[in-house]
Amino acid sequence: MEDYKFLFKVVLVGNAGVGKTCLVRRFTQGLFPPGQGATIGVDFMIKTVEIDNEKIKLQIWDTAGQERFRSITQSYYRSAHALILVYDISCQPTFDCLPDWLREIEEYASSKVLRVLVGNKIDREDREIPAHVGEDFAQRHSMYYLETSAKEAENVERLFMEIAAELMEQARSKELPRYDSNSPTINGRTTVIGDGGCCSRMS
Amino acid sequence: MCTSCCGCCSALRPRYKRLVDNIFPVNPQDGLVKNNMEKLTFYSLSSPEKLDRIGEYLFQRASRDIYRRRNGFVVIAMEAMDQLLVACHAQTLNLFVESFLKMVQKLLESTDPQLQILATQSFVRFANIEEDTPSYHRRYDFFVSKFSSMCHSNHNEPELRDKIRVAGIKGLQGVVRKTVCDDLVENIWEAVHMDKIVPSLLYNMQNSRYHVKEADTPEPPQEEHADPPTLAETCMRELVGRASFGHIRCVLRPVLRHLDLHELWVPNQFALHTFRIIMFSIQAQYSYTVIETLMSHLDDNSKSNPKIRTSIADVLSKIISIAAGESVGPSVLEIINSLLSHLRLSVTREDPSDEPQAQRAEKLYQEALINALGEFANHLPDYQKIEIMMFIMSKVPYPALDHLRGFNGPGDVLLQNILLKSLLKVGTKYQTIHFNTTFPMSFLEPLLRMSLAADPDMRLLVQKILHTLIDRHHNLEKLLKPTVNIGDLELVLEKSSRPDIIFIRKHGPEIYRSLYESLEQANNTVENIEAVYTTLALLCVELSSEETVMEMLRLVVSIQDTALTNGSLSAAQKYNLHAVVVSLLVLIPNVVPITPLMEYAEKVIEARRNAGANHLLPELLVHYDPDVCLSPSQLGPDVLVDQVAVTESLKGAGFDVSRLQQVTPYGAGGPPGVNVGHRHSWVETGMRTSVADLNSFQVEVDSVSSSPGVQKKHPEEELTFESMKKLLSEPPESAKEAEEERRLQLSETFRTADFHDLVDRTHANNDILQNKLNEIFSKLSTGLSDGIRPPATPTPGTKQDNDPLHSNNPPTYEVLFPELFVY
Repeated sequence: MEDYKFLFKVVLVGNAGVGKTCLVRRFTQGLFPPGQGATIGVDFMIKTVEIDNEKIKLQIWDTAGQERFRSITQSYYRSAHALILVYDISCQPTFDCLPDWLREIEEYASSKVLRVLVGNKIDREDREIPAHVGEDFAQRHSMYYLETSAKEAENVERLFMEIAAELMEQARSKELPRYDSNSPTINGRTTVIGDGGCCSRMS
Repeated sequence: MCTSCCGCCSALRPRYKRLVDNIFPVNPQDGLVKNNMEKLTFYSLSSPEKLDRIGEYLFQRASRDIYRRRNGFVVIAMEAMDQLLVACHAQTLNLFVESFLKMVQKLLESTDPQLQILATQSFVRFANIEEDTPSYHRRYDFFVSKFSSMCHSNHNEPELRDKIRVAGIKGLQGVVRKTVCDDLVENIWEAVHMDKIVPSLLYNMQNSRYHVKEADTPEPPQEEHADPPTLAETCMRELVGRASFGHIRCVLRPVLRHLDLHELWVPNQFALHTFRIIMFSIQAQYSYTVIETLMSHLDDNSKSNPKIRTSIADVLSKIISIAAGESVGPSVLEIINSLLSHLRLSVTREDPSDEPQAQRAEKLYQEALINALGEFANHLPDYQKIEIMMFIMSKVPYPALDHLRGFNGPGDVLLQNILLKSLLKVGTKYQTIHFNTTFPMSFLEPLLRMSLAADPDMRLLVQKILHTLIDRHHNLEKLLKPTVNIGDLELVLEKSSRPDIIFIRKHGPEIYRSLYESLEQANNTVENIEAVYTTLALLCVELSSEETVMEMLRLVVSIQDTALTNGSLSAAQKYNLHAVVVSLLVLIPNVVPITPLMEYAEKVIEARRNAGANHLLPELLVHYDPDVCLSPSQLGPDVLVDQVAVTESLKGAGFDVSRLQQVTPYGAGGPPGVNVGHRHSWVETGMRTSVADLNSFQVEVDSVSSSPGVQKKHPEEELTFESMKKLLSEPPESAKEAEEERRLQLSETFRTADFHDLVDRTHANNDILQNKLNEIFSKLSTGLSDGIRPPATPTPGTKQDNDPLHSNNPPTYEVLFPELFVY
């Protein structure tokens, strides 16, 4: 129902084929779509989670990794509260591209956006990037770091839950993006339509 | 929650809730309960203050149904909201709309494509309603994001995928319509929105096949039942059409980025298609902004593959004409300037060490730019074309006089070449009416200077520019090659107007001189000579007055002299000149009927034919067989154009031949390779007969005044005035200053060659002069060795009348001249 307290926008970025869509599917629908085709443009999913008895609505924008869609995907960075930067631990090039992605995030996203580095596909045997390398990189760029497997549903739930918790923490500490602050009725009038208002201002 | 008690205590519930509940059937398949819906509508109309609560309640029910996946009821709730929205009056809608939009959003958030499509339909319905009180706090961020995402739908079933995409496009269209009119609501033109909307539309447009088939004049497709590409196109038109000046760039930037990222420049059909759409839908007064933006995109791409640049320039050339009509004032020159600087950049970029393929690609790029320039100029009014031509001319790198002969770098030559090509392109689009408007001094002078460039190709280009600008009656085609059968050409003649006569009187000498010198170039090809012929012939045809005939004939005789005496020309070139001479001789009496002259011309041709001197007749060849072709001197005087005979035939026709009689050859024997050689002016020819006795005095003063560093304005002017009394037409000083410098320079540099000519010419004085001349030459040689040869550019503003080489007075002059420098 419509009685969530917070709404956060989460955007997934990273090279093509690192498993962004699969992560989202696993989290929102609990399934792993085999033979998932390349995303075109931007996909959209929604999921409401509960933390500390507070309902939090996550708008998840799953962007295409292909270069040619860069113009449209970048336009989604700006309003994001959290950016999940995904790479494939079994594919060195996807890791090597991370600095480029960071530069893009620098350029297009809000400076206060929550950034999380995710090494996906830990179910794979042929790991190329050791966990500590990824962690080092994340630390150097002050990002959160997590390794996941969309296939085995490993850490996927945790990834999004931690993001939600962190964002809620931030929101509470600033007392800004209280979605229900202007309409504290019990029948769920909690958000401003279009939702661009409070949250995007926060970020 | 309130809704939890719906079953048991419905009687206690507010009336509006009961009414809402009643519209839902027991079984969702039955659809909306129509009777009850009417009751609800009636109720909300009669008590509009309840409308917002109704909306809220409907939304809650729908949310719950979505949560429980009872989509049938959701559809019914949406339908009910739609009906209420349409039925109720605008002023009461405001709060209801909030619930309505929340409902739409809720549906869009669901994963069911059917619900998304349904929501979009409702949204579009809402977008078409005009609200009288806009709600400033309403945000469309989510809708833009979601609809854009739908535009990129990649659903497995193609049919459903297209439906979702169409819904997305329609949704975007709705958002645009809703927001665009009112500045106070959300600014749809912000980058964050445009970066989503524009690529989404383009992505759908590029999937269309038909832009490949027909790139021309796309027709606006029907809005109803359209497939995604056509619908996207319609939406694009609408978007561009609504954009105001400040917003155009917001639309164009994402377009360019999209084309870049999707690599849609090569081939450029889609890019062209897109830009055509933009140009045709944009408000006309802003269209040049598109050109500017495209041009700056070219700037940004200056490092990229020449193919991409060529494609961009090609798009530019194809749409630029659409903008030209609307361009005014500085924007025109700005565009031209920008195109020119691109050309310059391209020229400097060109590296001779590059692979030939890369060079060719760069050439293509330059061609495309020149095309764009031409297209643009084509659609401008004539007066602007002149401006543009002058502007281009001013951009031609302008080597100093002594550099003109090949001392400038290869880059400059290339750039000159390119710019002249652009000039030619613009020139062909221009329709000359009066020569004095077409050739302002600041344009004519550099052009003539370029006509003496070292590079024969460049000279050819200049001649072509002259052709297209001079030719007003479409005689160009007919006069491309020298011929003696003028009658067959069916030339279009028109009596030249007064301003034209004035023009040629003013600038004729310079033009003729340049042409004459151009014929003297040792590296002339047949094309060069033919081109000069064409220019002369066109001038003759366009300015067909008796006044100009004289000058023309003088030039003809001078050309023949060059052909006879010039040592640096090859035999073939000389034969070519002879052919040109006779062709012009035939042309002149055809243009201005002079029967005796015509007869004489026929006679010369006849003589040449009889003497087997076909090499002295058109057409011009590159090689002549030296065994067959005898030189004119071997053939005897009959084959040559005799000045006396020409004079006689003119006299016979009642012309005043004094000018012609006193003719001084144009460039008489100046060795090619040095850019000087003018020694003629109207004044001197006119004066010759009348002021011969004055000459000695005159020359003395004149020489003083004209020498470098000893500039004496007043005596000089006085003197001019004196002589002027006897002259009828004196070209203005300004026009002649430059020639005068050169003439002075020449007079000392090439005295020897002159001398021979003079000897030929002045039979009477010949013997008496002989001694004196010898004396002079001895003096002269000492003078020259003393280093009196003036620098390349003597003081401007010197005297312009009085010819130092005049047959009557060279002795005096020559004696005095060196002395001058002693002081």
